[in-house]
Amino acid sequence: MAPIGWSGDSNAMQLRISIQDGAPIYQQIVEQVKYLVAAGRLKPGEDVPPIRVLAEQLRINPNTVARAYLELEREGVVTMRQGFGTKVVQVKTLLSRREKLRLLAEPADMLLTHAHHLNVELDEVITLLRDRDAVMQPESSK
Amino acid sequence: MKFPSPSSAEAVVAISNLSRHFGAKAALEDVSVFVPRGSVLGLVGENGAGKTTLIKHLLGSLKAQTGNVRVFGLDPVLDPVGVLGRVGYLSERRDLPGWMRVSEFIRYSQAFYPGWNEAYAAQLLEQFQLDPTQKIKTLSQGQQAKAGLLTSLAYRPELLILDEPSSGLDPVVRRDILEAIIRTVADEGRTVLFSSHLLDEVERVADYVVMLQRGRVVLNGRTEEVRRDHISAVLVFAEPPAKAPVLAGAHAISGHGSEWRVLFSGSRLELETAATQIGARVVEELTPTLDEILVARAARKGN
Amino acid sequence: MRRIRILEWRNPTGAMLWEIWARRKVNFAFHTAALLASLFCIPRLQHGPPEWLRGVLILVLISFFLGAYLDLLTCFGYIEADARNVKLGYPARLLLKPVSTLRLILVPMFFGGAAVISVLLIWSHWIMQPLVHGGILSPCWLGAVMLSVFWWMQALAWAMPLMPGRSLIMLIVALIHLLVCCLPLMPVSRLSGWQWPMLAVLLISAVMTAWIGLGLMRQGNWDGPSRIARFWSRRHPAMTRKARRKFGSAFGAQFWLEWRRQGLLLPGIVVGILSAIIPIVFVVQKQVGEPVEGANLIKIIFSLSLSLPIVLSGIMGSQIARFDQLQPSNELPVYIAVRPMTNGGLVIAKLAMALASSILTWLVMLASACFWIIVLESHTLISLVSTISPFGIVACVIGGVPPLLLLILYTWKNLLSGIGAGLTGRRWVIILFTYWKGAVMIAMIALLMAAKFNGDFMTALLHWLPGLLILTLAAKIAVAVALFVLGMRRNVITPGCIGLIIGGWLLCGLFVAGYACLVCHALHKSDWLFPVTLGGFLLLPLPDLAIAPLALAWNRHR
Repeated sequence: MAPIGWSGDSNAMQLRISIQDGAPIYQQIVEQVKYLVAAGRLKPGEDVPPIRVLAEQLRINPNTVARAYLELEREGVVTMRQGFGTKVVQVKTLLSRREKLRLLAEPADMLLTHAHHLNVELDEVITLLRDRDAVMQPESSK
Repeated sequence: MKFPSPSSAEAVVAISNLSRHFGAKAALEDVSVFVPRGSVLGLVGENGAGKTTLIKHLLGSLKAQTGNVRVFGLDPVLDPVGVLGRVGYLSERRDLPGWMRVSEFIRYSQAFYPGWNEAYAAQLLEQFQLDPTQKIKTLSQGQQAKAGLLTSLAYRPELLILDEPSSGLDPVVRRDILEAIIRTVADEGRTVLFSSHLLDEVERVADYVVMLQRGRVVLNGRTEEVRRDHISAVLVFAEPPAKAPVLAGAHAISGHGSEWRVLFSGSRLELETAATQIGARVVEELTPTLDEILVARAARKGN
Repeated sequence: MRRIRILEWRNPTGAMLWEIWARRKVNFAFHTAALLASLFCIPRLQHGPPEWLRGVLILVLISFFLGAYLDLLTCFGYIEADARNVKLGYPARLLLKPVSTLRLILVPMFFGGAAVISVLLIWSHWIMQPLVHGGILSPCWLGAVMLSVFWWMQALAWAMPLMPGRSLIMLIVALIHLLVCCLPLMPVSRLSGWQWPMLAVLLISAVMTAWIGLGLMRQGNWDGPSRIARFWSRRHPAMTRKARRKFGSAFGAQFWLEWRRQGLLLPGIVVGILSAIIPIVFVVQKQVGEPVEGANLIKIIFSLSLSLPIVLSGIMGSQIARFDQLQPSNELPVYIAVRPMTNGGLVIAKLAMALASSILTWLVMLASACFWIIVLESHTLISLVSTISPFGIVACVIGGVPPLLLLILYTWKNLLSGIGAGLTGRRWVIILFTYWKGAVMIAMIALLMAAKFNGDFMTALLHWLPGLLILTLAAKIAVAVALFVLGMRRNVITPGCIGLIIGGWLLCGLFVAGYACLVCHALHKSDWLFPVTLGGFLLLPLPDLAIAPLALAWNRHR
């Protein structure tokens, strides 16, 4: 996943779209928005930029953004309602634990596929995860 | 891959079985393209594949030799006023009157379109940072493209046709043009058709992709479907094959020794079946970019 | 694998010559064929060609020679537009080759000059000599003057690629050469004996201009916006920034475009020629001094100036059909082709521009005539005024308006003569049409000459004339109606435009016929009423205008 940023302006959501990435663009938006919500950077009740503004900012098709928002609404992350003629998209809830785990499913799949290709056993992968966590602990606690 | 062709009432552009020959050379052969209202169609292909020829048919600059072309349900040759009044066009070579100043060109274009929005034109002029008193022939390529785009956007056409809008332009100008295109699309019901060599632009902005090769349509569908239907995989052979392996359903295969990279169109299952058939093992699978798909398909036809 | 042929002459001169030849192989072949054909035919006709044929033949041969001369000028002129269509001059790609400037100018000048001189000598010695015994000017002198014109055209084209008034300067230089050419004929004793040195000066200065100008261009003196334009915009910033009103309609915008492109062409050329001729004539008249000669001269000048716009508009006919000068073909430029305007509308804008141009030209002629009369011939005017009563002057002025309108109409008709062919955008159509026009003109002259010399033929012609005129008029109207109907079916022209064109034709036809009838009545030649009326209608182009929108459609939708 690409690095994500957050700016103080509630109407500017810093996302990064990568074409080289295998995932379709709308899916990248969905993932990144979910990540922001999971990390607590997008709080419930906050407004997410309107479709047109985000499309111009990211220079992608507004239909793609619309699709991403629809998907997010379907998954219950945001709600869309009519307000002053344009749709207002608001973050609904903090993601539940189940949602968060589902978010991690894709990177996990990638890790496991790599391991399979490298002929590394699952136990070794788990050991590796514990080691990497231990290395990252002092950094994250700073 | 079948294109879900909408009924002609919905399609802003409906090209059916169009063929065009210039002397002995076939520029277009049996091309059918439908563009639904409110969508963005990206036209891709090598140089000389027939993209500009196809676009010229939409404007009435070329007459359909076989098949027919309908824009807004009208024939652009029989009813140029009805079609061209609702179409905005930017050509590949810009084709602007070099002797006119920018302000004169805007004044000239304005008289032809009743729906011209002066405030929007002024806003675009400001945003594109064009000097109205400069003669067009003294403008740089990027500024000429912007001037051409300005006069095509200011009357809010229902259909915007752009032939290689970013060719020869620096990244800053390309961003401006892309933003202008997106703003066009964001307005309800307006359609964009553009041809481009910059495939990452096409992937970002286009809903549908049509790929032309030697005048024929080889790819036609939604952008992400086109990508999803292809797999870029690495095959490993137990022993290096004597000559280049041939895989059914692969567009391009390259490599040496026992590792070969292949671009395959089909599902994962089909790929693995085909791979086992020639005695190889799939070690890596990725979704290819549109760029890789185009290059692979071009190379394949060339062989 | 195809082999690439290697040039025989492996040096820059050989390469440049090969390029000139290869580009215009067809032209050179045509000229050689015409020369050989004339060489073959003319000696055969030596033994007594009929008088009228001789006149026609001389005319044909002279026009062929002039055509060949102009064509050689374009072949060896070496003028190309650069990639961005900003400059029209020496091909920029050659300036980057490791070749000296002197060689760059001498190759086209020397070989072009040699070609011109040899062609002229062949024409004058073997072809014209048997027909015209003894010329007024020696071929050597004529050849040298034509060489000088040739070199000056090349030099100006190369040395001034960006100057906007370059064509005017070229015209002035051509007129100066005309003057120098006529020096041996002039009864001015002071200048005799000076002609050859003057010509030598002209020739040498042509080469020097070309050399220095091309050298400056090679050093990049012409890159960037022209200093004149910068100077102008600095002095008049307000003018360039003035906010103009919008156009009222699409027709207004298209008319503005046509006017800006070509409206001032004809008036400009007329002004240029007049401003060159009037001082020259004035000076010569002062030299000559005698009043009798002066009156003759006035008559000459009068007829010359009346015919000037008409002749020029006849030459310029195909120019009106073009949309953009710098484009090599007559293809409709994209920024016009994508406008939502019918082909009929585009044609009407062109017609309006031609009319406005014609009116302006004649106003200019009127103004210069007034200038001439008031300033230069004031004594004649004073004597005239004293003879005519004040009421008579008003009648004179009012009586002068219809002839002026007639002249405007005729110039307009001339400008539109090639519009149907020119708008097709196909070179072969235009070339074919030019030859067709030429053939028709030669046939008419032959007919007139035959009638003049053969009395029976003349009476037979006069007997059948009304019938012929009716037939021609009926055919014209039928063809025009058919073309209009076809145009409406193909949706290239609206009924409103058709009504406009037909209404205009009727109006102008009635005016011409009516005035002609009035003149006939005044001259007591009532038996001429009928042919003259028909002739009035026949003079105006209707099928040409009917075919123009269809031709434009053929150009616009290929």
